Amino acid sequence: MAEKPRLKLPKEAKKGDVIEIKTLMPHIMESGQRKDKDGKTIPRKIINKFTAEFNGKPVFSANLDPAIAANPYLQFSAKVEESGTFKFTWTDDDGTVISAEEKITVS
Amino acid sequence: MTRAGMWAGSAAIALIVAGAFAVVAAGSRANAQANKREAPLETKDAASVQPWKRYAGWPARDESKYNTLGHLATAPAPTAPRPVGNQVIGDAANGGKLVADRNRGGSCLACHVMGQAGNADLPGNAAPDLSEIGNAGRTDEWLFNYVYDARVYNPETIMPPWGSHGFFTDPEINDIVAFLKTLKSPAVFKTALDDPNKRPAPVEKRDNLDAIENPAMWAVEKAQELWNLKSASGFSCNTCHSEPQATFKTWAASMPKWEPRLDKVLGVEEFVARHAKATTGAAWLMETDENRALSVYLHFLANGAPIAIDTSSAEAKAAIERGKVLSARKVGQLNMACTDCHGKAANHWIRGQWLGDPKGQYDHFPTWRTSLLAIWDIRQRFQWCQVNIRADELPPDAKEYGDLELYLAAQNEGLKLSVPGIRH
Amino acid sequence: MRQLSRRAALALGAGSAALTIVGWDEGALAAAKEAADEIAKFTGGKTAAKEKVSIELPEIAENGNTVPLALSIDAPMTADNYVSEVLVVAEGNPNPGVATFHFSPMSGKAEASTRIRLATTQNIVVVAKTSKGEFFSGQKLVKVTIGGCGG
Repeated sequence: MAEKPRLKLPKEAKKGDVIEIKTLMPHIMESGQRKDKDGKTIPRKIINKFTAEFNGKPVFSANLDPAIAANPYLQFSAKVEESGTFKFTWTDDDGTVISAEEKITVS
Repeated sequence: MTRAGMWAGSAAIALIVAGAFAVVAAGSRANAQANKREAPLETKDAASVQPWKRYAGWPARDESKYNTLGHLATAPAPTAPRPVGNQVIGDAANGGKLVADRNRGGSCLACHVMGQAGNADLPGNAAPDLSEIGNAGRTDEWLFNYVYDARVYNPETIMPPWGSHGFFTDPEINDIVAFLKTLKSPAVFKTALDDPNKRPAPVEKRDNLDAIENPAMWAVEKAQELWNLKSASGFSCNTCHSEPQATFKTWAASMPKWEPRLDKVLGVEEFVARHAKATTGAAWLMETDENRALSVYLHFLANGAPIAIDTSSAEAKAAIERGKVLSARKVGQLNMACTDCHGKAANHWIRGQWLGDPKGQYDHFPTWRTSLLAIWDIRQRFQWCQVNIRADELPPDAKEYGDLELYLAAQNEGLKLSVPGIRH
Repeated sequence: MRQLSRRAALALGAGSAALTIVGWDEGALAAAKEAADEIAKFTGGKTAAKEKVSIELPEIAENGNTVPLALSIDAPMTADNYVSEVLVVAEGNPNPGVATFHFSPMSGKAEASTRIRLATTQNIVVVAKTSKGEFFSGQKLVKVTIGGCGG
C-alpha cells in the first residue's frame, strides 16, 4: 500500500496553545499471528515507531507493537510557542522510513 | 528546411490544432449529449466474474439441498412431531456445551438466554429466555421436537430446524433436552452488558466522512483518479462527465432502477460495470476494487440527498413486490428469511450483535467494515447474509438481488445518503 | 474462562497493577503473568499508584480488530516534572505489549489516542512514568463482542 499518511492539525495557533494532532498511516500492520491458506505463518511487518518533532525538537513518539490496529491512528497534543514545522516519521520493520511535514503559524 | 518542408510543418501543426479543437468539441458535445440520452450499457456480457466463485476466506459448504434466493430446493417441513416418548435420556453436561457451540450454526445462545450456559457471556434475546424452561411444564417429547424441528408446533417460527436440517444428531438433541430440563432459575450475569435486555443498542457515532476516521475515504480519491484514467480507447469518464460534482449531485439517490434493456433492476455497481464497458471500454466488473471505488464515489457525490427511487412505474412496483416476496423466503440450512432477523427479531440481539430494522440499513452503503478492513457494497452484504445462514449466495448481478435491493431502497426512502459508511 | 466483574477485578488489584484476575484457565493466567512481567520491567519493580490515569475504551468492542483507545494522565507537563513514558499492555493478548508512548514538556498534555487489536475480552492496563520517577496506573475491562451467526 503506497499511500500517503493523513494529518490533521491546525494551520494557525496562539502562543502557548496546546493543539491536537491526528495522524493516520495506511499500513496493514501484519501481526505475525495470521496464517495463510496453506497454514504457514505470515511474517510480521508493522510500523514499529512513530515520531513527532517540532522545529527539530522531539514532541511525542511511540513504539508500536503488533496489537496496534491496521492503518495505525495516533492522536496526541503539542504545546506551540513559536511558528515552525512539524515533522512526522513512521518506521517500518523493514527499515523504511516515511515522513511528512506540516507548517504552523503561531502568533 | 525546404519551403515545402515548412509548409508541411505548418500544415501538420494546423491539423494538430484542428484535431485538438475537434476532441474538445467532441468532449463538450459528449458532455451535452451525456446529459440528454440514455446511458450506453453493455447488455451482452455478465457484469460479474463468470462463473461466480465464492470469495476466498468465506466458508465453503455444500448447501445445494437448501433454498437460495434464486431457486427452491429445501425439503418440506415435517407435518407432525416425532414420537420420542417422555423419557428422553441425555448427558446434560454435554447439552450445556452444545447449546453454546458457535460452530453449530451460531448456537442457541445466539437467540436465547439459557441460565449459565456459555457463562452467560453476551447471549442474545431474539427469542424467549429459556433459563427456567425446566420448570415450564413442557414434556420431553415437546422439548425434543421443538429443537428437532419447531415448525411442527409453530409454522411461523424463526427457529432453525436443528434436527431435520442436520445440525444435531438425535443423541445430541437428547443431551440438549437433558440440559434444558436443568434450567430452573434466572441467569446471573457478570456485568449488566451481558444481559441482552439491559444492553444498550449500539449507536454509530463515528464521523464516517472524516478521512482519518474512515479508511474508505481513500476510495473517493482513488475513484477520482479512475475517473480521469484514459482507457485504450483514449476516453475516460471525464471525457463525457467533466463535472461530476455538479452532474451527480442526486443520481445515486435515485438508484437502484429498473433497466428495460436488461429486464432487471440495476444498482450503482452493476451500472458502473456495464456503462464503463460500453463507453470507455474499461472492464470494471462488480466486486473489483475499481468498481467499489467508483460506487463509493458516485454515492459520495450524492451525500445528503434523500433516497428517492422510482416506486410508481409498473416495472418498479412489480420488482418491489418480487423483492418483498424474496425477503420472506426461507433459505439455507438455517432456514431463515431476511424478515426473520430484520423483521420479526429486529431490535434484538443475536449474541453480541444488534439486529437492525431495514430502514437505516441502506443509506450508508458502500461501507467500510472495520472487522475486515474492506469496503463492502450492498450486494456483497446480501451475499454474506446468505452464506452465514448457510445458503448459497447468488452472483452479485443476480436479478433477484436487484429486486431485493429495490425493495430495501423503497424502505429507506427519504433517508439521506452518507457514504462511505463505517461499520463493524 | 471465568471472569470477575469489573468491580471485583479492580478491588483485587491492590498492590499489583496487572495480576488482577484469579480463577482463569492456564492460558489466560500465563498471558496475564507476561503482562505483569512487562509492567514490572517498566516500573523497575516499583508499585504504581492507582490514580491519575484515565482510560477510554468501549465497554463492548464491536470486534477485536480495531478498538479505539484514549488515555490521559492527570499530571503536570512542566520542564522539571512531566509524564515521560506511558506503557499500554493487553492482559489477554498472545503478546501483551501494545505500545509505549513518549511524551515531553512540549507535549502540553500527557494524552494519546490510538486503535488497538484485542484477541478476546480482557483488561487493558496503562502505566505512566514521570520524569521524577513516579508511577501511576489504571486499567479497564473491554468485552469483545461475540458474533451471532457463528462460523
